[in-house]
Amino acid sequence: MERRTALRWMASAAAALPFTRLRVFAQRGELPPDAVATLREVAATVLPASLGPAGVAEAVDRFLAWTRGYREGMALEHGYGHPCLRFTPASPVPGYVAQLAALDRAARAKGGRFATLDLDTRRALLDAALTAAGVGALPRRPNGQHVVADLMGHYFNSSQAADVCYQAHIGRQTCRLIAVTTKRPAPFQADGGRR
Amino acid sequence: MTVHECDVCIVGGGITSAMLAQKLAELRPSARIIVVEAGRSIFDRENRGRYRLRTLEYGEHPWPGDYIEDQQAEGIISMTMAVGGLALHWGGACNRFSREDLRLKSLYGLADDWPLEWAELERAYGEAERRLNVCGEPSPYPGDERSTPYPQPPMPLSYNLEVLKGWAGQSGYRFNPLPMARNLKPADGRGGCCVFDTCGDVCPSGARYSPDFTFRQLMAPKRIALHDRTLVRRLVVDDGKTTVAAAEARHQDRPDEPVQYRARHFVVASGYCWSSHLLLLSSSPRFPNGLANGSGLVGRYMNGHRFISATAEVAEQTYPGQNMTHSLISREYFRCATGQPFVRHDLRVWESSAGRTPRLRDDGGRLLVGDELLEDWRSRTKGSAVRLRAYVDVHPSIDSRLTLDPAKKNRYGDPMPRIEHRLDAATEGRMAATRAHVAGVFGRMAKAGGGRIVSTGEGDYLDHPGGGCRMGTDPATSVCDSHGRTHDHENLFVVGAPTTPTGGCTNGTLTFVALTLRSAEEIARALPT
Repeated sequence: MERRTALRWMASAAAALPFTRLRVFAQRGELPPDAVATLREVAATVLPASLGPAGVAEAVDRFLAWTRGYREGMALEHGYGHPCLRFTPASPVPGYVAQLAALDRAARAKGGRFATLDLDTRRALLDAALTAAGVGALPRRPNGQHVVADLMGHYFNSSQAADVCYQAHIGRQTCRLIAVTTKRPAPFQADGGRR
Repeated sequence: MTVHECDVCIVGGGITSAMLAQKLAELRPSARIIVVEAGRSIFDRENRGRYRLRTLEYGEHPWPGDYIEDQQAEGIISMTMAVGGLALHWGGACNRFSREDLRLKSLYGLADDWPLEWAELERAYGEAERRLNVCGEPSPYPGDERSTPYPQPPMPLSYNLEVLKGWAGQSGYRFNPLPMARNLKPADGRGGCCVFDTCGDVCPSGARYSPDFTFRQLMAPKRIALHDRTLVRRLVVDDGKTTVAAAEARHQDRPDEPVQYRARHFVVASGYCWSSHLLLLSSSPRFPNGLANGSGLVGRYMNGHRFISATAEVAEQTYPGQNMTHSLISREYFRCATGQPFVRHDLRVWESSAGRTPRLRDDGGRLLVGDELLEDWRSRTKGSAVRLRAYVDVHPSIDSRLTLDPAKKNRYGDPMPRIEHRLDAATEGRMAATRAHVAGVFGRMAKAGGGRIVSTGEGDYLDHPGGGCRMGTDPATSVCDSHGRTHDHENLFVVGAPTTPTGGCTNGTLTFVALTLRSAEEIARALPT
């Protein structure tokens, strides 16, 4: 089959799929706009304001990219010493959507959208949501327990966040010359660490 | 039935198999060598960067399909069954044992001596380091002399490790960069180290040695044939003789069609678990206890080392994440004076972020958000955490066993292995003193450097396992000789980890490779020039 013919065939086959199936597929990997809007409001509270609006938006974008890249049923690391076979569970996105909707409802019950509430109220809402979800600690990787903890874990456990914390260009788990690692990590400049 | 004929049939496709095939192909270029591996080949180096990212981001296993679900063992330390074996995802540590390992009985009245001289093993170590392109520097301790230099200079210490070397050195122990099978520069078809720092998962550049590179290099010019996804289920002995005639196998895609390998020599290079397993599975009316098992010791004396860890807090400032897979090693306790309580162990130091990770709630349980979380995290990053570990020399009892478990079978009905490690009475008797000694060593380091130990722990399995086909000179008390040739079958060899009588007190892979390279010379001698 010619490449162009194959592409045309694939496009027509996709078009023949029932719309609802496509929608379900999209829902599993993609947060809908209203959920994203709530997530961005929450992010402004739970991520460091010192990142600036652009930095916070970038952290949210990376988290959203993470959700889009999630694949169900993939073999997880087997471990060493006491190995076992485990697979990635169902996409956390449907749960995220429900959790964000619940946060939005709870915020409105307190008088407005999440971003408009005072910090103590926002903290109380988050605390209640995380406690109800049984979140005890920041997850090393998003685990679907609660979208807020997952967003926070995704950012705060990143190489970038470590650099921000230490105010130094460590570059954990980034490709770099060996010689770079032999020196004390360069301190952040006035640019807030962006190079 | 499909029949393949060759001069040497190597069962297993891990690091010892790769080294053996490489050396045999050099020594006997005309020899027909077939490597048979139950798992699949994962040769897509170009995808390894992506696999690594998926591991970091999603925790996905970085070696897709490197296991066979119904070919697993109880008590095994890794599920990996693929071309490259566990060395697909080893850290690359290449420590040598010491001469004391070979003379435990003579020197201390413990366990058993190995049936070879240190000079022979030392020479093989040099060759193994050359083939694996190890980077390292000579140990400062007398008794660790080398006959050949390392092929590469040591891995440059990160700023963090340099700081910690200064801290650790105040104890009086002398530390070196850990020798590693990592290319500092591109070499031998593999890339140079880019400090991706995921050696133990996957190395995108190939700087950390893995056997798939060797197999590809051998296969391209057809110096060997590699039959992957083909499980050898049993070895069959010639009628009326004691030589092995064939290996019977099945390919994953044709499970109903037997495959047979006929060879002049058979080498079981299937690691510490599956080597003993294959020999036990190969029982017959003439050999009811399996092959090479006249001594009854196949699957016995399964060994490895215990490990004791600690985390120290020190005042020196480091920046976790520079090169967390590299470490310092001290060989201070590789040798123990005779007439003193026996204790041997290595001593390792890593940078660590323990206690210096972001947290969701403060000590009072208050939810932290935004900049206050960042500030809380930052406030806990003063000074450093240090990871300490000792691999402790422990000795197996005869009842440290691999057995066939009739309750767990693969798709062909073969019983799967069960491994139960047991230590001998002398080891058990001194474990409390050993723990106290190691705690004292950690404490001495902390005290000398002005730090404190904040936690300690002990592993609940034996690391770098070996044994099951131990070597020796007496056929009544061992399975094979020092070259891995089985006492019962002159054309059947076992190589690497299974042949070790004891597990030493540091990473074993270099020793497994060195022993195998020595075996290769003996196997080559039996082949036509």
